[in-house]
Amino acid sequence: MSLQGWVPDIGPYLTLEEVIEHAFDYRGNVTVVRRDGSELVGYLFNRDSSAPEPFVQLIDEDGNGPLRVRYAEIASVRFTGKDTAEGNSWKAWIERKEREKAQPAPDA
Amino acid sequence: MSVPVSQMWTVATYVLRQRLAGRKRYPLVLMLEPLFRCNLACAGCGKIQYPAQVLRKHLAVEKCLQAVEECGAPMVSIPGGEPLMYPEIDRLVAELVKRKKYVYLCTNAILLKEKLDLFTPSKYLSFSVHMDGLREEHDEAVCRDGVYDQAVPAIQEALARGFRVTTNTTLFDGASPLRVRAFFDEMMRLGVEGMMVSPGYSYSKAPDQEHFLRRSRTSQLFREILSNPKKHWRFNQSPLFLRFLMGKQDYECTPWGNPTYNMFGWQRPCYLLQDGYAETFAELMETTPWENYGRKSGNEKCQDCMVHCGFEATAVHHTFNSARGFAETVLVTITGKL
Repeated sequence: MSLQGWVPDIGPYLTLEEVIEHAFDYRGNVTVVRRDGSELVGYLFNRDSSAPEPFVQLIDEDGNGPLRVRYAEIASVRFTGKDTAEGNSWKAWIERKEREKAQPAPDA
Repeated sequence: MSVPVSQMWTVATYVLRQRLAGRKRYPLVLMLEPLFRCNLACAGCGKIQYPAQVLRKHLAVEKCLQAVEECGAPMVSIPGGEPLMYPEIDRLVAELVKRKKYVYLCTNAILLKEKLDLFTPSKYLSFSVHMDGLREEHDEAVCRDGVYDQAVPAIQEALARGFRVTTNTTLFDGASPLRVRAFFDEMMRLGVEGMMVSPGYSYSKAPDQEHFLRRSRTSQLFREILSNPKKHWRFNQSPLFLRFLMGKQDYECTPWGNPTYNMFGWQRPCYLLQDGYAETFAELMETTPWENYGRKSGNEKCQDCMVHCGFEATAVHHTFNSARGFAETVLVTITGKL
Protein backbone atom coordinates (compact mmCIF):
# COMPACT_ATOMS: atom_id res chain seq x y z
CA MET A 1 0.00 0.00 0.00
CA SER A 2 1.37 3.38 -0.96
CA LEU A 3 1.77 6.20 1.52
CA GLN A 4 1.09 8.76 -1.20
CA GLY A 5 -1.05 11.57 0.21
CA TRP A 6 -0.50 10.57 3.85
CA VAL A 7 -0.56 13.42 6.35
CA PRO A 8 0.70 11.79 9.53
CA ASP A 9 -0.56 12.99 12.86
CA ILE A 10 2.54 13.12 15.01
CA GLY A 11 1.69 12.63 18.66
CA PRO A 12 1.70 10.03 21.41
CA TYR A 13 0.94 7.16 19.00
CA LEU A 14 3.23 8.12 16.16
CA THR A 15 6.64 9.68 16.72
CA LEU A 16 8.49 12.01 14.39
CA GLU A 17 11.25 9.42 14.18
CA GLU A 18 8.78 6.78 12.92
CA VAL A 19 7.39 9.16 10.32
CA ILE A 20 10.91 9.99 9.12
CA GLU A 21 11.63 6.26 8.72
CA HIS A 22 8.56 5.97 6.49
CA ALA A 23 9.63 9.04 4.54
CA PHE A 24 13.10 7.56 4.09
CA ASP A 25 11.53 4.43 2.58
CA TYR A 26 9.17 6.45 0.39
CA ARG A 27 10.14 6.88 -3.30
CA GLY A 28 8.37 10.17 -3.86
CA ASN A 29 8.81 13.76 -2.76
CA VAL A 30 7.74 14.70 0.74
CA THR A 31 7.08 18.05 2.37
CA VAL A 32 9.14 18.69 5.47
CA VAL A 33 7.35 21.20 7.66
CA ARG A 34 9.73 23.05 9.94
CA ARG A 35 8.87 24.26 13.41
CA ASP A 36 9.08 27.86 12.17
CA GLY A 37 6.30 27.08 9.68
CA SER A 38 8.49 27.03 6.56
CA GLU A 39 8.31 24.05 4.23
CA LEU A 40 10.84 22.15 2.14
CA VAL A 41 9.63 19.86 -0.65
CA GLY A 42 12.00 17.22 -1.91
CA TYR A 43 13.15 13.60 -1.97
CA LEU A 44 14.29 12.49 1.47
CA PHE A 45 17.12 10.05 0.74
CA ASN A 46 18.92 9.77 4.04
CA ARG A 47 18.44 10.06 7.76
CA ASP A 48 20.66 9.44 10.76
CA SER A 49 18.86 9.17 14.05
CA SER A 50 21.99 8.07 15.89
CA ALA A 51 24.08 11.14 15.01
CA PRO A 52 24.84 13.58 17.86
CA GLU A 53 22.34 15.89 16.13
CA PRO A 54 19.97 13.58 14.21
CA PHE A 55 19.30 14.83 10.67
CA VAL A 56 17.63 14.08 7.35
CA GLN A 57 19.00 14.84 3.88
CA LEU A 58 16.97 15.79 0.84
CA ILE A 59 17.27 16.70 -2.83
CA ASP A 60 14.76 19.51 -3.24
CA GLU A 61 12.22 19.84 -6.06
CA ASP A 62 14.67 21.86 -8.15
CA GLY A 63 17.40 19.27 -7.79
CA ASN A 64 19.43 21.21 -5.22
CA GLY A 65 21.14 19.26 -2.52
CA PRO A 66 21.96 17.35 -0.52
CA LEU A 67 20.18 19.66 1.93
CA ARG A 68 20.42 18.79 5.61
CA VAL A 69 17.63 19.40 8.15
CA ARG A 70 17.98 18.52 11.84
CA TYR A 71 15.24 16.45 13.47
CA ALA A 72 14.97 19.21 16.06
CA GLU A 73 13.83 21.64 13.34
CA ILE A 74 11.09 19.37 11.98
CA ALA A 75 7.47 19.61 13.05
CA SER A 76 6.03 17.09 10.60
CA VAL A 77 6.45 15.39 7.23
CA ARG A 78 3.71 15.03 4.63
CA PHE A 79 3.80 12.49 1.78
CA THR A 80 2.86 14.94 -0.94
CA GLY A 81 4.68 13.64 -4.01
CA LYS A 82 3.74 10.85 -6.39
CA ASP A 83 4.95 7.42 -5.26
CA THR A 84 7.30 6.47 -8.10
CA ALA A 85 7.51 2.86 -6.91
CA GLU A 86 3.86 2.09 -7.57
CA GLY A 87 4.80 0.19 -10.72
CA ASN A 88 2.16 1.67 -13.01
CA SER A 89 4.19 1.40 -16.21
CA TRP A 90 4.90 -2.25 -15.46
CA LYS A 91 1.21 -2.91 -14.80
CA ALA A 92 0.36 -1.24 -18.11
CA TRP A 93 2.94 -3.42 -19.91
CA ILE A 94 1.55 -6.61 -18.34
CA GLU A 95 -2.02 -5.63 -19.23
CA ARG A 96 -1.01 -4.87 -22.81
CA LYS A 97 0.78 -8.22 -23.17
CA GLU A 98 -2.22 -10.05 -21.73
CA ARG A 99 -4.51 -8.29 -24.19
CA GLU A 100 -2.18 -9.25 -27.05
CA LYS A 101 -2.12 -12.89 -25.93
CA ALA A 102 -5.91 -12.93 -25.69
CA GLN A 103 -6.31 -11.69 -29.27
CA PRO A 104 -6.59 -14.43 -31.92
CA ALA A 105 -3.61 -14.77 -34.25
CA PRO A 106 -4.14 -12.91 -37.60
CA ASP A 107 -4.35 -16.11 -39.65
CA ALA A 108 -6.55 -17.99 -37.14
CA MET B 1 36.64 -19.00 -16.81
CA SER B 2 37.07 -16.20 -19.31
CA VAL B 3 38.59 -13.47 -17.17
CA PRO B 4 41.80 -12.32 -18.92
CA VAL B 5 45.05 -13.31 -17.22
CA SER B 6 46.12 -9.69 -16.69
CA GLN B 7 42.86 -8.96 -14.89
CA MET B 8 43.16 -12.11 -12.78
CA TRP B 9 46.73 -11.14 -11.91
CA THR B 10 45.63 -7.63 -10.91
CA VAL B 11 42.89 -9.00 -8.67
CA ALA B 12 45.12 -11.69 -7.18
CA THR B 13 47.93 -9.28 -6.30
CA TYR B 14 45.42 -6.75 -4.95
CA VAL B 15 43.84 -9.37 -2.66
CA LEU B 16 47.26 -10.56 -1.49
CA ARG B 17 48.32 -6.96 -0.76
CA GLN B 18 45.21 -6.49 1.37
CA ARG B 19 45.98 -9.70 3.17
CA LEU B 20 49.61 -8.70 3.81
CA ALA B 21 48.40 -5.33 5.09
CA GLY B 22 46.18 -7.21 7.53
CA ARG B 23 42.95 -5.66 6.18
CA LYS B 24 39.96 -7.68 7.22
CA ARG B 25 37.53 -5.75 5.04
CA TYR B 26 38.40 -4.43 1.62
CA PRO B 27 36.48 -3.62 -1.56
CA LEU B 28 36.85 -5.62 -4.75
CA VAL B 29 34.54 -3.86 -7.20
CA LEU B 30 33.29 -0.30 -6.90
CA MET B 31 29.69 -0.01 -8.06
CA LEU B 32 29.63 3.50 -9.46
CA GLU B 33 26.18 4.82 -10.30
CA PRO B 34 26.64 8.18 -12.03
CA LEU B 35 22.90 8.51 -12.66
CA PHE B 36 19.59 6.75 -12.07
CA ARG B 37 18.01 7.75 -15.37
CA CYS B 38 17.23 4.81 -17.65
CA ASN B 39 15.59 4.25 -21.02
CA LEU B 40 13.94 1.07 -19.75
CA ALA B 41 11.76 0.23 -16.74
CA CYS B 42 12.44 -3.45 -16.10
CA ALA B 43 10.11 -5.59 -14.04
CA GLY B 44 12.75 -6.72 -11.55
CA CYS B 45 14.62 -3.44 -11.15
CA GLY B 46 14.33 -1.38 -7.99
CA LYS B 47 16.99 1.15 -8.95
CA ILE B 48 15.22 3.86 -10.91
CA GLN B 49 12.05 4.68 -8.99
CA TYR B 50 12.79 8.28 -8.03
CA PRO B 51 11.16 11.68 -8.48
CA ALA B 52 11.97 13.63 -11.64
CA GLN B 53 14.51 15.98 -10.07
CA VAL B 54 16.58 12.99 -8.92
CA LEU B 55 16.39 11.31 -12.32
CA ARG B 56 17.53 14.53 -14.00
CA LYS B 57 20.62 14.79 -11.80
CA HIS B 58 23.94 13.03 -12.29
CA LEU B 59 27.33 12.96 -10.65
CA ALA B 60 30.15 15.10 -11.98
CA VAL B 61 33.07 13.12 -13.42
CA GLU B 62 35.32 14.62 -10.76
CA LYS B 63 33.05 13.28 -7.99
CA CYS B 64 33.14 9.84 -9.64
CA LEU B 65 36.94 9.89 -9.80
CA GLN B 66 37.19 11.04 -6.21
CA ALA B 67 35.06 8.03 -5.21
CA VAL B 68 37.29 5.72 -7.26
CA GLU B 69 40.40 7.05 -5.52
CA GLU B 70 38.81 6.84 -2.07
CA CYS B 71 37.70 3.27 -2.61
CA GLY B 72 40.83 1.90 -4.29
CA ALA B 73 39.15 -1.21 -5.73
CA PRO B 74 40.85 -2.60 -8.86
CA MET B 75 37.56 -2.99 -10.73
CA VAL B 76 34.82 -0.44 -11.35
CA SER B 77 31.37 -1.46 -12.47
CA ILE B 78 29.21 1.32 -13.88
CA PRO B 79 25.56 0.38 -13.56
CA GLY B 80 22.77 2.88 -13.14
CA GLY B 81 20.39 3.85 -14.64
CA GLU B 82 21.70 3.48 -18.12
CA PRO B 83 25.33 4.67 -18.14
CA LEU B 84 25.26 5.43 -21.86
CA MET B 85 22.76 8.20 -21.04
CA TYR B 86 25.38 9.82 -18.81
CA PRO B 87 26.55 12.87 -20.78
CA GLU B 88 30.23 12.41 -19.89
CA ILE B 89 30.47 8.64 -20.04
CA ASP B 90 33.33 8.81 -22.56
CA ARG B 91 35.44 11.07 -20.33
CA LEU B 92 34.64 9.01 -17.23
CA VAL B 93 35.65 5.75 -18.92
CA ALA B 94 38.82 7.30 -20.39
CA GLU B 95 39.86 8.56 -16.95
CA LEU B 96 39.23 5.16 -15.37
CA VAL B 97 41.20 3.37 -18.08
CA LYS B 98 44.01 5.88 -17.60
CA ARG B 99 44.03 4.80 -13.94
CA LYS B 100 44.23 1.15 -15.03
CA LYS B 101 40.91 0.26 -13.49
CA TYR B 102 39.07 -2.68 -15.03
CA VAL B 103 35.78 -1.12 -16.06
CA TYR B 104 32.52 -2.97 -16.61
CA LEU B 105 30.13 -0.59 -18.33
CA CYS B 106 26.72 -2.17 -17.71
CA THR B 107 24.33 -1.31 -20.48
CA ASN B 108 21.09 -2.48 -22.01
CA ALA B 109 22.80 -1.78 -25.36
CA ILE B 110 19.95 0.28 -26.80
CA LEU B 111 22.37 3.18 -27.30
CA LEU B 112 25.52 1.11 -27.68
CA LYS B 113 25.82 1.12 -31.46
CA GLU B 114 25.46 4.90 -31.78
CA LYS B 115 27.83 5.57 -28.85
CA LEU B 116 30.62 3.15 -29.75
CA ASP B 117 32.62 5.91 -31.43
CA LEU B 118 33.01 7.56 -28.03
CA PHE B 119 35.18 4.71 -26.79
CA THR B 120 38.52 3.10 -27.63
CA PRO B 121 38.98 -0.65 -27.24
CA SER B 122 41.10 -1.50 -24.22
CA LYS B 123 41.78 -4.51 -22.06
CA TYR B 124 40.51 -2.34 -19.20
CA LEU B 125 37.08 -1.72 -20.73
CA SER B 126 34.32 -4.26 -21.08
CA PHE B 127 30.75 -3.59 -22.13
CA SER B 128 28.63 -5.72 -19.85
CA VAL B 129 25.39 -6.08 -21.76
CA HIS B 130 22.20 -6.78 -19.88
CA MET B 131 20.68 -9.89 -21.48
CA ASP B 132 18.13 -11.80 -19.44
CA GLY B 133 17.57 -14.59 -21.91
CA LEU B 134 16.56 -15.32 -25.46
CA ARG B 135 14.36 -12.82 -27.33
CA GLU B 136 11.06 -13.70 -25.65
CA GLU B 137 12.42 -13.85 -22.09
CA HIS B 138 14.62 -10.79 -22.45
CA ASP B 139 11.94 -8.53 -23.91
CA GLU B 140 9.55 -9.68 -21.21
CA ALA B 141 12.13 -8.95 -18.48
CA VAL B 142 12.79 -5.44 -19.78
CA CYS B 143 9.10 -4.81 -20.50
CA ARG B 144 9.63 -3.71 -24.09
CA ASP B 145 9.43 -5.54 -27.39
CA GLY B 146 12.43 -5.36 -29.70
CA VAL B 147 15.18 -4.74 -27.15
CA TYR B 148 16.82 -8.14 -27.73
CA ASP B 149 16.94 -7.37 -31.44
CA GLN B 150 18.63 -4.06 -30.71
CA ALA B 151 21.15 -5.57 -28.30
CA VAL B 152 22.38 -8.41 -30.52
CA PRO B 153 23.62 -6.27 -33.44
CA ALA B 154 25.13 -3.81 -30.95
CA ILE B 155 27.08 -6.68 -29.35
CA GLN B 156 28.22 -7.85 -32.78
CA GLU B 157 29.32 -4.36 -33.74
CA ALA B 158 31.25 -3.86 -30.50
CA LEU B 159 32.98 -7.22 -30.93
CA ALA B 160 33.80 -6.44 -34.55
CA ARG B 161 35.45 -3.21 -33.44
CA GLY B 162 37.63 -5.06 -30.95
CA PHE B 163 35.86 -4.24 -27.70
CA ARG B 164 35.59 -6.65 -24.83
CA VAL B 165 31.94 -7.63 -24.43
CA THR B 166 30.42 -9.68 -21.66
CA THR B 167 26.79 -10.28 -20.76
CA ASN B 168 25.05 -9.99 -17.43
CA THR B 169 21.96 -12.06 -16.82
CA THR B 170 19.53 -11.91 -13.95
CA LEU B 171 17.29 -14.90 -13.43
CA PHE B 172 13.90 -14.96 -11.76
CA ASP B 173 11.45 -17.62 -10.66
CA GLY B 174 9.88 -19.29 -13.66
CA ALA B 175 13.09 -19.31 -15.73
CA SER B 176 13.34 -22.42 -17.88
CA PRO B 177 16.71 -24.20 -17.45
CA LEU B 178 16.60 -25.46 -21.02
CA ARG B 179 15.92 -21.99 -22.41
CA VAL B 180 18.71 -20.53 -20.26
CA ARG B 181 21.11 -23.16 -21.60
CA ALA B 182 20.04 -22.32 -25.15
CA PHE B 183 20.62 -18.65 -24.33
CA PHE B 184 24.17 -19.43 -23.12
CA ASP B 185 24.79 -21.25 -26.42
CA GLU B 186 23.53 -18.23 -28.33
CA MET B 187 25.72 -15.76 -26.44
CA MET B 188 28.75 -17.96 -27.08
CA ARG B 189 27.80 -18.14 -30.74
CA LEU B 190 27.76 -14.33 -30.81
CA GLY B 191 31.32 -14.45 -29.53
CA VAL B 192 31.06 -12.62 -26.20
CA GLU B 193 34.08 -12.95 -23.97
CA GLY B 194 32.13 -14.37 -21.07
CA MET B 195 28.82 -14.38 -19.26
CA MET B 196 27.81 -13.28 -15.79
CA VAL B 197 24.72 -14.74 -14.20
CA SER B 198 22.97 -14.10 -10.92
CA PRO B 199 19.57 -14.51 -9.30
CA GLY B 200 17.65 -11.27 -8.93
CA TYR B 201 17.42 -9.51 -5.59
CA SER B 202 13.95 -8.99 -4.18
CA TYR B 203 13.98 -5.19 -4.32
CA SER B 204 11.03 -3.92 -2.31
CA LYS B 205 10.60 -1.13 -4.88
CA ALA B 206 10.66 -3.32 -7.99
CA PRO B 207 7.34 -3.46 -9.83
CA ASP B 208 7.17 -7.25 -10.09
CA GLN B 209 7.23 -8.68 -6.56
CA GLU B 210 6.08 -12.20 -7.51
CA HIS B 211 9.06 -13.66 -9.35
CA PHE B 212 12.01 -13.22 -7.03
CA LEU B 213 13.76 -16.49 -6.28
CA ARG B 214 13.89 -17.95 -2.79
CA ARG B 215 17.17 -19.55 -1.73
CA SER B 216 16.23 -23.22 -2.17
CA ARG B 217 14.65 -22.53 -5.55
CA THR B 218 17.75 -20.60 -6.62
CA SER B 219 19.99 -23.59 -5.92
CA GLN B 220 17.61 -25.94 -7.71
CA LEU B 221 17.40 -23.71 -10.77
CA PHE B 222 21.16 -23.18 -11.05
CA ARG B 223 21.84 -26.90 -10.53
CA GLU B 224 19.52 -27.64 -13.43
CA ILE B 225 21.21 -25.02 -15.60
CA LEU B 226 24.85 -25.59 -14.69
CA SER B 227 25.26 -29.20 -13.54
CA ASN B 228 26.31 -30.32 -17.00
CA PRO B 229 28.00 -27.21 -18.39
CA LYS B 230 28.94 -27.19 -22.04
CA LYS B 231 32.64 -26.94 -22.81
CA HIS B 232 32.25 -23.79 -24.90
CA TRP B 233 30.44 -21.82 -22.18
CA ARG B 234 32.65 -19.12 -20.67
CA PHE B 235 31.74 -17.26 -17.50
CA ASN B 236 33.25 -13.95 -16.54
CA GLN B 237 32.96 -14.68 -12.84
CA SER B 238 34.34 -16.89 -10.12
CA PRO B 239 33.58 -20.59 -10.66
CA LEU B 240 33.22 -20.93 -6.91
CA PHE B 241 30.42 -18.37 -7.01
CA LEU B 242 28.68 -20.51 -9.61
CA ARG B 243 29.10 -23.52 -7.34
CA PHE B 244 27.59 -21.43 -4.53
CA LEU B 245 24.55 -20.70 -6.73
CA MET B 246 24.21 -24.45 -7.29
CA GLY B 247 24.22 -25.06 -3.53
CA LYS B 248 27.64 -26.74 -3.60
CA GLN B 249 29.38 -24.06 -1.52
CA ASP B 250 28.07 -22.34 1.57
CA TYR B 251 29.15 -18.73 1.68
CA GLU B 252 28.32 -15.75 3.84
CA CYS B 253 27.78 -12.37 2.25
CA THR B 254 30.61 -9.84 1.92
CA PRO B 255 28.54 -6.64 1.77
CA TRP B 256 31.60 -4.37 1.65
CA GLY B 257 33.03 -6.30 -1.32
CA ASN B 258 31.11 -4.21 -3.89
CA PRO B 259 30.60 -0.81 -2.26
CA THR B 260 28.20 1.54 -4.04
CA TYR B 261 28.61 5.25 -4.70
CA ASN B 262 25.95 7.47 -6.23
CA MET B 263 24.57 11.01 -5.93
CA PHE B 264 23.34 10.24 -2.40
CA GLY B 265 26.80 9.19 -1.18
CA TRP B 266 28.21 5.80 -0.13
CA GLN B 267 25.28 3.44 0.19
CA ARG B 268 24.90 1.37 3.36
CA PRO B 269 25.38 -1.55 3.47
CA CYS B 270 25.55 -2.78 -0.12
CA TYR B 271 24.48 -2.35 -3.72
CA LEU B 272 21.05 -3.81 -3.02
CA LEU B 273 19.94 -2.50 0.35
CA GLN B 274 19.50 1.18 1.12
CA ASP B 275 19.79 1.64 4.85
CA GLY B 276 21.35 5.07 4.58
CA TYR B 277 24.38 6.88 3.19
CA ALA B 278 27.85 7.81 4.38
CA GLU B 279 29.70 10.88 3.12
CA THR B 280 33.06 9.16 2.71
CA PHE B 281 34.25 5.66 1.94
CA ALA B 282 36.12 5.56 5.25
CA GLU B 283 32.92 6.48 7.10
CA LEU B 284 31.06 3.72 5.24
CA MET B 285 33.63 1.11 6.22
CA GLU B 286 34.08 2.27 9.80
CA THR B 287 30.54 3.11 10.89
CA THR B 288 28.31 0.61 9.08
CA PRO B 289 27.09 -2.06 11.52
CA TRP B 290 28.20 -4.92 9.27
CA GLU B 291 27.14 -7.49 11.88
CA ASN B 292 23.52 -6.61 11.05
CA TYR B 293 23.82 -7.93 7.49
CA GLY B 294 24.25 -11.30 5.82
CA ARG B 295 22.32 -14.48 6.36
CA LYS B 296 23.79 -15.28 9.78
CA SER B 297 22.72 -11.89 11.11
CA GLY B 298 19.08 -12.96 10.81
CA ASN B 299 18.30 -9.82 8.78
CA GLU B 300 15.22 -10.87 6.83
CA LYS B 301 16.26 -8.77 3.83
CA CYS B 302 19.37 -10.94 3.47
CA GLN B 303 17.86 -14.40 3.90
CA ASP B 304 17.15 -15.19 0.25
CA CYS B 305 19.86 -13.07 -1.29
CA MET B 306 22.48 -14.94 -3.36
CA VAL B 307 23.36 -12.05 -5.65
CA HIS B 308 26.87 -11.75 -7.08
CA CYS B 309 27.55 -8.33 -5.54
CA GLY B 310 27.42 -9.92 -2.09
CA PHE B 311 28.87 -13.34 -2.70
CA GLU B 312 31.33 -13.09 -5.56
CA ALA B 313 33.72 -11.21 -3.30
CA THR B 314 33.40 -14.05 -0.79
CA ALA B 315 34.24 -16.56 -3.51
CA VAL B 316 37.28 -14.56 -4.62
CA HIS B 317 38.42 -14.23 -1.01
CA HIS B 318 38.03 -18.00 -0.62
CA THR B 319 40.16 -18.59 -3.74
CA PHE B 320 43.04 -16.40 -2.65
CA ASN B 321 42.96 -16.94 1.10
CA SER B 322 42.85 -20.70 1.44
CA ALA B 323 44.76 -23.55 -0.20
CA ARG B 324 41.50 -25.44 -0.54
CA GLY B 325 39.74 -22.53 -2.24
CA PHE B 326 42.65 -22.08 -4.62
CA ALA B 327 42.78 -25.80 -5.42
CA GLU B 328 39.02 -25.92 -6.02
CA THR B 329 39.22 -22.93 -8.36
CA VAL B 330 42.11 -24.46 -10.32
CA LEU B 331 40.31 -27.80 -10.55
CA VAL B 332 37.06 -26.26 -11.80
CA THR B 333 38.94 -24.07 -14.25
CA ILE B 334 40.90 -26.98 -15.71
CA THR B 335 38.10 -29.55 -15.83
CA GLY B 336 35.25 -27.16 -16.62
CA LYS B 337 33.06 -29.18 -14.26
CA LEU B 338 31.24 -27.10 -11.70
